[in-house]
Amino acid sequence: MKDFLRNTWKHRAHVVMALPVFLVLLFIMYVPMTGLVLAFKKYDFNLGMYKSPFCGLDNFKFIIASKDIFQRMTKNTILYYLVFTAIGTFLNVVLAIAIDQFFFKRLSKTMQTIMILPVFISYAAVQFIVFAFISSDTGIINHVLGTRIRFYSDAKLWPYILTTVKIWKDTGYGSVLYMSVLAGIDSELYEAADIDGANKWKKIKHITIPSLIPMVTVMLLLSVGNVMRSDTGLFYQVTRNNGSLYSTTQVIDSYVLNSILSNANFGYTAAASFFQSVIGLALMLFANWAVRKIEPDNALF
Amino acid sequence: MGKKKDSALDIAPSKREKFGFGQVILGICLLAYTLFCLLPVWIVFAAAFTDEKAITQNGFAFIPSKFSLNGVNAVLKYGKQLAVSYGVTIFVTVVGTLFGLLIMSMFAYSISRKDFRLSRFLSIYLLIPMLFNGGQLSGYIIFTGYYHLKDSILLLILPLCVTTMNVIILRTYIANSIPNELMEAAKIDGAGEYRTFFQITLPLLKPSLAAVGFMMATAYWNDWQNAMMYITSNKKQPLQLLLIKIQKSIEFLLNNNNVPSSARAAMGGTIPQYSSTMATVIVVIGPIMIAYPFFQKYFIKGLTVGSVKG
Repeated sequence: MKDFLRNTWKHRAHVVMALPVFLVLLFIMYVPMTGLVLAFKKYDFNLGMYKSPFCGLDNFKFIIASKDIFQRMTKNTILYYLVFTAIGTFLNVVLAIAIDQFFFKRLSKTMQTIMILPVFISYAAVQFIVFAFISSDTGIINHVLGTRIRFYSDAKLWPYILTTVKIWKDTGYGSVLYMSVLAGIDSELYEAADIDGANKWKKIKHITIPSLIPMVTVMLLLSVGNVMRSDTGLFYQVTRNNGSLYSTTQVIDSYVLNSILSNANFGYTAAASFFQSVIGLALMLFANWAVRKIEPDNALF
Repeated sequence: MGKKKDSALDIAPSKREKFGFGQVILGICLLAYTLFCLLPVWIVFAAAFTDEKAITQNGFAFIPSKFSLNGVNAVLKYGKQLAVSYGVTIFVTVVGTLFGLLIMSMFAYSISRKDFRLSRFLSIYLLIPMLFNGGQLSGYIIFTGYYHLKDSILLLILPLCVTTMNVIILRTYIANSIPNELMEAAKIDGAGEYRTFFQITLPLLKPSLAAVGFMMATAYWNDWQNAMMYITSNKKQPLQLLLIKIQKSIEFLLNNNNVPSSARAAMGGTIPQYSSTMATVIVVIGPIMIAYPFFQKYFIKGLTVGSVKG
């Protein structure tokens, strides 16, 4: 202990330098963690969070009783996660290989710059772009097809719309990581394969794809921790928070945001948040454990 | 990683590829995907320069059927609020990014000191918020009810200024790319801890600061959620919130034919229209689109470093 204190005193300059981040995390991240107790309380605006009376598991019972809403948003959250992760990973890898194989490197760099661009446009702006495509009166899609589909009131179309928007926004950026892996493949491997008479498909199958697998595994496992979280902007802004679309577009995060903005249902929302945080923690621990088994270097902790 | 890192950057890579029919197909596919990415951005520009009547009659189009500068001129009618919002967004972005970079690199430097015993605790302390957090609702109640920061610019800056991943990227860079001997040498020459950090480490950290800084700046520039939850007064309203307000008022006008004149006045005397809205979108997303190509090579490196823990 004395050793430890002496060591800390010796490094007092480092303690001072670490202090600002320590404080920011304390007040912005750690203090709000205590707010999870709200899940077990009956929230009273006048009393505030800490002084509101405990109500045991009432909020959770309420969630289970109103299972339609809760089931719906949990189901949407998980399904969108699965679809986005499966399609996203596949397209990221395909795009990375395609760019890597392309003959004109300069041109592919320019194309890549354009492909990454959408990730930097905020969802508040993206929703205007989506509107230009799918508005029922002025939208491009209805004009090209000569139809008058009312996208903003037809919930069953939205899984496709949101998936398309997500692909458009994130694929270019997502492939960058895999491209850097491909750039690191020793070109002697390809030359050796040439000598052995391998054609291009064989080289992709036996050299390119196997070299990507470790990174794909790690990225997939790390994303497992985010099953319960969603891209709030996509589900809140792009759908224009349209109530008639909730059956296919409401996720836990957008539900929570809605209840904050309308100042309602705090008890219920707190229980949903608690559920979200705890499942998130469990999955994250599991994911890290799994990464550690496969690629110890890539584990987070 | 292998030896030849730059093989993908070469203009004509050795014998790996021959130009043939397959390349033509590949080229067409890539070009098609590039267009898929570009056209939605293009539509914003096309609509901003299309005559308003042409949009209501013929819908949005990739090529303006009737060219007009009215939309762009109408943006100037938002004039004052737009200027204020621009000021808020630039302030938040610059201050937040610089502040965040400074405190995160100091923290990263501290926890990368080898014989600093407290660094183990600090690393865990840094990691926990990534695994577990209180969620939006508790944040909202604590920040507004207990810190009394409702409608404060601080809530646009502080929640985004420290991210665990960014600190890890900086720490990895310090551990892998800045030789410890340099720091030791500075100390032997009599430089204090602070001087060593500011004069030796910080300048060498530049590439990774550029990467992290750009990602942070985009996050600040594009943040709408904190603004929507916390900002109520017009003079603190950032650009993204302005966009959301414009969309809300369009929706309101579509649903209500008799709009009180006070509401019209609030919107600058005009009903927000498609072309002017798109022109506003250009103003909002423009700066990032111009800045991004210059930072591309840095953040690609940053992304790669961040994915592999040191």
